[in-house]
Amino acid sequence: MGPSELTIVISPIGDLGLDGAFLAWVGTEVQKVFGFPTQVVPLLDEADLVPDPLRGQVHSTPILEKLAALLPSPAIKVLAITRVDLFIPVLTHVYGEAQLGGKACIISTYRLEEGICINASPKTYQCRILKEAIHELGHTFNLRHCPEHTCIMHYCRSIRDVDRKLERLCRYCRILLEDEIKRQDNS
Amino acid sequence: MGHAKILIVDDELIMRESLAGWLQRDGHETDTAASGEEALEKVKDTRFDILLVDIKMEGMSGLDVLKQVKENDPDVAVVMITAYGSIASAIEAMKNGAYDYLLKPFDPNELGVIIEKIIEHQAQRRETLFLREQYKDRTRFESMIGQSEALQKIFDLIEDVASTDSTVLITGETGTGKGLAARAIHTQSARCLGPFVVVNCGAFPEHLLESELFGYQKGAFTDAKTTKKGRLELAHGGTLFLDEIGTISMRMQIDLLRVLEDRIFYRVGGTQPIEADFRVIAATNRNIEQAIKEGAFREDFFYRLNVISFTMPPLREHKEDIPLLAEHFLRRFTQETNKPIDQVSREAMDEMMLYDWPGNVRELENAIERAVVVAKGRRILPQDLPIFRPEYRTPPANKSLQEMERAHLLTVLKENEWNILKSARILGIDRSTLYNKIRRYRIRKPS
Repeated sequence: MGPSELTIVISPIGDLGLDGAFLAWVGTEVQKVFGFPTQVVPLLDEADLVPDPLRGQVHSTPILEKLAALLPSPAIKVLAITRVDLFIPVLTHVYGEAQLGGKACIISTYRLEEGICINASPKTYQCRILKEAIHELGHTFNLRHCPEHTCIMHYCRSIRDVDRKLERLCRYCRILLEDEIKRQDNS
Repeated sequence: MGHAKILIVDDELIMRESLAGWLQRDGHETDTAASGEEALEKVKDTRFDILLVDIKMEGMSGLDVLKQVKENDPDVAVVMITAYGSIASAIEAMKNGAYDYLLKPFDPNELGVIIEKIIEHQAQRRETLFLREQYKDRTRFESMIGQSEALQKIFDLIEDVASTDSTVLITGETGTGKGLAARAIHTQSARCLGPFVVVNCGAFPEHLLESELFGYQKGAFTDAKTTKKGRLELAHGGTLFLDEIGTISMRMQIDLLRVLEDRIFYRVGGTQPIEADFRVIAATNRNIEQAIKEGAFREDFFYRLNVISFTMPPLREHKEDIPLLAEHFLRRFTQETNKPIDQVSREAMDEMMLYDWPGNVRELENAIERAVVVAKGRRILPQDLPIFRPEYRTPPANKSLQEMERAHLLTVLKENEWNILKSARILGIDRSTLYNKIRRYRIRKPS
């Protein structure tokens, strides 16, 4: 990787309870979808995620601002992964949040364990994390929710829907992603 | 799911921003207002599909916003947002026409389901209205009327365009007759014996538009009990008119671009390519160039549509056609209703000439229809027209001094029961000057 090469940063926050090989795998899969090399760089610590005193969850939007500000050059996007439960004020919870067309996104593994035993089905659990990661990164490339049920940008109503969708973009979202990358190159 | 234009009304910045961000990721267009007063201002300028309104706000309450918004636009869907403990106000809101209410903080799925239901419901309403309009167009407005230079130019253009087989993009404000122009191109073209198939793209949520255009194969989805041909297939040999093309999603633009390039497509759930030969005419009231800049419309799709393009002029730019159009509509509606009305009175015509007609020819048509119904005598009088109400009068920023002078003279004369001395005194001119002006502007006292 050359110094001027544009990258996507994968940033674990605190201990995720997952081995290092897992993050490397996420990096490879992210590169397959978005075409940018990835690097693992911890930018925040779990202590930086202060829970809301009333809800006991962490408001994700301010974290995105912090992450975007800490993004090292020449990285263009950052994907943070945390174990804490995230929320935005109007909603009970979110699996993740992203700056639409921006630099930062975050996902939480907190609710991805639903309906499975992580030790018994580690692959399912890891696939869920990967899907959420690609989904939120997609938003940073200006992709919106897609009606195609198998597309990674499809908004899932339940964790079972997450299991059903594939780890890739449908052809429409692929074209929209290519357009967006071209647009960013030109600007 | 289709996309909606949503206004979020909440006095808490954090709520507004987080909700807007969430809805944008779903592809919706959002705007925010920090108070009820600001919301009402925004609603005056922009038409929103959905309003998400917090019940408890400083100043004007959410309930008041609901009542005022519903009074001006009963079709807009208002969803109330309420905190636990104020359910009573939410129920009160439902009684006043709110579509639904959400308890804060709400489950993301709950919000998605409500928005989806509203979009489906509104699309069904639009489709019904569109079909009604289409029926009206066929039965009573089959020809384009006008002798003005602006319309004569359009007629010439239609004739030229009809002789080609190129794709046409017709732009223009609502009610200017884009659909009629498209039909006129079709009937004067070599494809006139083929079908003229209309698709109102704005009337369908995305997934329904897809099956409407491309058709579907039996078993493609739960309700697909039989194979159905789409409108692209039905347009074979004729013209496909895509109305409100500016409203379609990026995804649908990708699909249609491919069809425009190859004239080959697949039914939903189908694997066999279908070839169809049709001419495409598209219409929009949106500024597409602006939409391209905003990233809401694909440039390549626009260029594919924009082979030949023209703009239908708004009625305020060819007001000289109003008497002819009014007479045409009057004839039609008196025939339909069997009412013995012979003419539009001079005063009513004066009112019509002064009005700006933001809804264009369609608004004029509706105004005459209403006037025919309510008129008591043999002439249409100003009070029979829906535009003869102060709130319908637009600020006359685009009027010439002469037009303004004529209108003002007329108002003063009417209010003083045509007493020349009194009117001249109010106007600050002498009697002979007033007489001269009356003559110059051809103002006549009603008999």
